[in-house]
Amino acid sequence: MNIYQPQLALVTQITEETVDTRTLRLELKDKALRDSFDFHAGQFGEYSVFGAGESTFCIASPPTRRGFIECSFKAVGKVTSALREVNVGDTVGFRGPYGNWFPVDGWKGKDMVFIAGGIGLAPVRCVIWNVLDRRDEFGDVTIIYGARSVGDLVYKRELEEWASRSDVRIVTTVDPGGQTPDWKGEVGYVTPVVEATAPQARNAVAVLCGPPIVVKLTLPVLDRLGFADEAIFTTLENRMKCGLGKCGRCNIGPVYVCKDGPVFTAAQMKALPAEL
Amino acid sequence: MKHADPTSTTYFISDDDLRALTGELLGAGTEVIAPVAVDICASPSAIASSACLRPGVKPIDIEYRALADAAELDLSRGLPVLSLKQYFLPEYEALCCWRQHGVEVEVKAVPTEFAPRVVLAAKPCDSAALAVIDKVMNWDYHDELWNGRREATTIVNLACPVIDESCFCTAVGAAPDDDKGADALLTRVEGGYLMEATTDKGRALVEAHVARFKAETDAGGAERRGRQAAEERAAARVRVAANLEIDAASVRDWIDTHFEDPLLAALGVRCNGCGACSSVCPTCHCFDIVDEEEGIGKGTRRRCWDTCQAPTFTLHASGHNPRDSQNPRYRQRINHKFSIYPLKFGEVLCTGCGRCTRVCHAGQDLVEILQAIDIAARRPEAAAT
Repeated sequence: MNIYQPQLALVTQITEETVDTRTLRLELKDKALRDSFDFHAGQFGEYSVFGAGESTFCIASPPTRRGFIECSFKAVGKVTSALREVNVGDTVGFRGPYGNWFPVDGWKGKDMVFIAGGIGLAPVRCVIWNVLDRRDEFGDVTIIYGARSVGDLVYKRELEEWASRSDVRIVTTVDPGGQTPDWKGEVGYVTPVVEATAPQARNAVAVLCGPPIVVKLTLPVLDRLGFADEAIFTTLENRMKCGLGKCGRCNIGPVYVCKDGPVFTAAQMKALPAEL
Repeated sequence: MKHADPTSTTYFISDDDLRALTGELLGAGTEVIAPVAVDICASPSAIASSACLRPGVKPIDIEYRALADAAELDLSRGLPVLSLKQYFLPEYEALCCWRQHGVEVEVKAVPTEFAPRVVLAAKPCDSAALAVIDKVMNWDYHDELWNGRREATTIVNLACPVIDESCFCTAVGAAPDDDKGADALLTRVEGGYLMEATTDKGRALVEAHVARFKAETDAGGAERRGRQAAEERAAARVRVAANLEIDAASVRDWIDTHFEDPLLAALGVRCNGCGACSSVCPTCHCFDIVDEEEGIGKGTRRRCWDTCQAPTFTLHASGHNPRDSQNPRYRQRINHKFSIYPLKFGEVLCTGCGRCTRVCHAGQDLVEILQAIDIAARRPEAAAT
């Protein structure tokens, strides 16, 4: 089998998340592949529009929902702009799942703290649903999510759904100036909101994903809250091409992010050269 | 002299028999790749080259080319401009083709099996590089396009007839008479070559053309030829070793622990990121994947050579670039070759061919750089001064 040849996937649902971000639901066209397709939370794929090329995103839907996968992306480059143009019923290419994953099974019985900024909620959403679909296996669930403005919040319907659940604590925030008159959430950057929310670190795991600056500033806060570096997980978003550990693009220090990652603990991430 | 004895692995092949063997291969439709002298002024890209305007001068490039005729075989040549890599990881290579029919898309596979072919007089640094790249092409996922070409190709090395001041294969664990990554090794002796077949593919080549080879088991000069070959090869090793001697393990560990060291952080000061070093490098294998439309609704997805020296290599769509100047890009090149790859795959991602040094118009000299790192690794206090 040629590892670079994509599978064909049908676009079955499109959700416009923000003015420039959308979520696609994809179903592999080959029934046998669709039925056997399995992955772990945190793994990624190579999505393509034929003629525009391939682009790397995490699988944003949880492995507990079978038969389809979802990806969320902001239209900023050539491929994402082309993906912005596809309609329900169109065919796109998919290769994956690739990379390592969040050790969700090892977190049974632990309190879960999810922290995300902007489109960084996409990989975290996969873990959130994975945990909520197996709710009784985990302790308290806290979600802290921030975006630049109310208009930039992704998965708005799901944020409401999580807020309406009694078994989830959710804090949403927007950057100062990004609020609307009827905004009921917090106003402030993610990092101080994490500090103010002060999730319990004892027997807890934090999953953190967002723009590099959010990750960088939030790590010391989690440290002050008592989270060990081994209990903080993130997923790195290096530029990738092959996803298979061949093309060399995502290599940083001793790791090929596409194969040794994309999921790393804060301890592993801190050992990497400052080239993120 | 007797004909080849299958239990022996060293044979003698005369100049005439080698040419006849080449003719037999070509006659059977087998592709034969070998270094040939190419008139660079015959290339359309050479129109503006001043070298081509001088009367009486015939500038040549040495290139690995598929031979059209056995008469083209010329084993006296130095290092080809481009390495053998191009025949295993082509500069542009189709990964699949697509065609749209309305909203449906049809994806057509490309072949991953290839016709048998033979490389004659490969440079040992070039065959060794293939064995080094084999590692990254096969950790976990197997690259069938690479493996298919590797399996289809029988490589016959030639112990280096030409060594210059940029060669340093012996410093990185290779040698000018190495058979690593190859199936057989030729060494020049009086009247022809000694050929050692070291793999099944190499032995199969001998068996298929058994009349061309003589077993080196009788007294008809075998001992003299063997001695001559051994002396030539030992002398070549000494000549290369005089260019550079480093402790590759110390260099590897020093780079691994000195990411922020001023020596590593300022390596790219003369580099302008043209990427020529990566193109000519036998071990650089980084690639890009791009879609090429061929008319409306159809096209080919290709991989093409890329380089960590290009600003776009790590550029995010957001505009963020983790390696935002030439210094970190050049450091990545050195780090990947001499520390990251050895630690991960147990092989230095360099076979000491020296092409990067010869081709660099900015004067980046890998021999010099490795010397400096080696000094720093052996004597940290000397490097600080």
